[in-house]
Amino acid sequence: MGGAMRLKILRPVGIILTALLFEGCVNATVDEMTYNEPVAGIGESSVVILGRRHAPDYDTEFDFIECIGDHIHSGDPSIDVINEIAFINQFYPWFEPRTAPLQPQTIDQLLELPIVANQFAEMKLEYMIWIDGKTVDTDSVGSMSCGIGPGVAGCFGFGTWGTESEYEATIWDFTDKVEVGKVSAVTSGQSYMPAVIVPIPIIAPVQGTACDSLGDQLLEYLSAHH
Amino acid sequence: MGVASLVSTTSGLEHVRIGRWLLLLCLTLLGTGCASKQVVVEGNFPTPLLDPLPITLGVIYPQAFAEHEFFDEAKGRTETDWLVKTGEAQVTFWDKVFTGMFDEVVHIRDWETVLAHGADIDGVIIPAISDLQYTIPTHTNVKIYEIWMRYEFRLVDISAIHQQDDGALTVNPDERLAAWPVTAYGKTPTAFLQTDEEAVNLAAVVALRDAGAHFITTFGATPDIAVWLDNIANGISQNDTIPTPESGDVPVPVPPKEADAPEVKENPTATAAQTDSVS
Repeated sequence: MGGAMRLKILRPVGIILTALLFEGCVNATVDEMTYNEPVAGIGESSVVILGRRHAPDYDTEFDFIECIGDHIHSGDPSIDVINEIAFINQFYPWFEPRTAPLQPQTIDQLLELPIVANQFAEMKLEYMIWIDGKTVDTDSVGSMSCGIGPGVAGCFGFGTWGTESEYEATIWDFTDKVEVGKVSAVTSGQSYMPAVIVPIPIIAPVQGTACDSLGDQLLEYLSAHH
Repeated sequence: MGVASLVSTTSGLEHVRIGRWLLLLCLTLLGTGCASKQVVVEGNFPTPLLDPLPITLGVIYPQAFAEHEFFDEAKGRTETDWLVKTGEAQVTFWDKVFTGMFDEVVHIRDWETVLAHGADIDGVIIPAISDLQYTIPTHTNVKIYEIWMRYEFRLVDISAIHQQDDGALTVNPDERLAAWPVTAYGKTPTAFLQTDEEAVNLAAVVALRDAGAHFITTFGATPDIAVWLDNIANGISQNDTIPTPESGDVPVPVPPKEADAPEVKENPTATAAQTDSVS
């Protein structure tokens, strides 16, 4: 194992590490319109963040909802964010795509069921936040070819594609059954993948930026410390 | 082409070994194209959050329901056969739904159960799947896996259930209290590192949950069901007659899951239309 051999091993590792340092650029636009902000925070009450999934051509991603929940909880650990899947299962079948309330006023109909009302009371739910949107890959161009042989493998080419995220968060005050705000985030970015033997992905964190943008705005609304 | 040029630089002995390896790879790839895909639907289903109705419900899962599977044969060399087995998941799921909706649920698997619990049972529900369709991204070029199901539910009085000479349970289709369809839809988008089978399973689980949600939210609104519920609330009993064995009824094939379950046979005298109406 001479120095040349060590260099041969280190070179691709170095390329990959360098690639990880690169990220494609992302443009983000955030709009916010909120009312009745809880100035002192939400205390011991809890918040649930739910994705809308009644559209025919897309579902708001479960991992995106989890990302926003994690972002809020890590920004202010005193905010109790209820896990979406646990909530949907606990309240089955009242928050399925077919049955989920579309207006805050319709929650009253749900609360007419004593067993549902008791569960909500136990949960001390103060805010229900609905996220509607999706992330999609748009135009892609370029080509890449890869070959593999005994002891040798490699790719050559260049590819690029765009990604767009568009999400809107609607905040419902669960106590008063009214909508108290809307926050939207539209992000877009271009990712690149040049390949000279090793493909180097330069990924634009479009969905992650949308998550951070929405998460920051929601944190600002819910937390007394932001 | 890249592969060929790289191979040409190796020695003769290596040639044979690599040629063999490449042949194996090609055969594997060819085989993959022809292979069929099978999904046995599995999922964790929640118990409905409901105040149970003060009703004792009998449930019969016909064999065709409890062992339901859907087979779609490949229409070309680029497609694959699909076998989606939903039966086990159907029974698990609907058991949870019925248990959550009604005070007591009695699984009617044999005539002894009818005799033992018949007087307490307010009605017997018999589910059936009349249609199941699915799409995957290779069919539609849309990055969504979808499953659509149509159920036919039948509610009969316990007195409509009879025993044939061979022990099979039968239902007289004319004695039904209600019959109504329930449709369900489930979809799941494509995801990184998710196989076709996993995605179809997930879509089926979503469809089952949707079926349950549809069933629960429309149950009381179905006119014949509403009449049945009113009769129970007003104390009008539908089971004042003790069921007796009769012949000529339509058999309900019951899955022989339990050791003591009777062997179930199709009634050769039943017409196709009659058989469809209960299984």
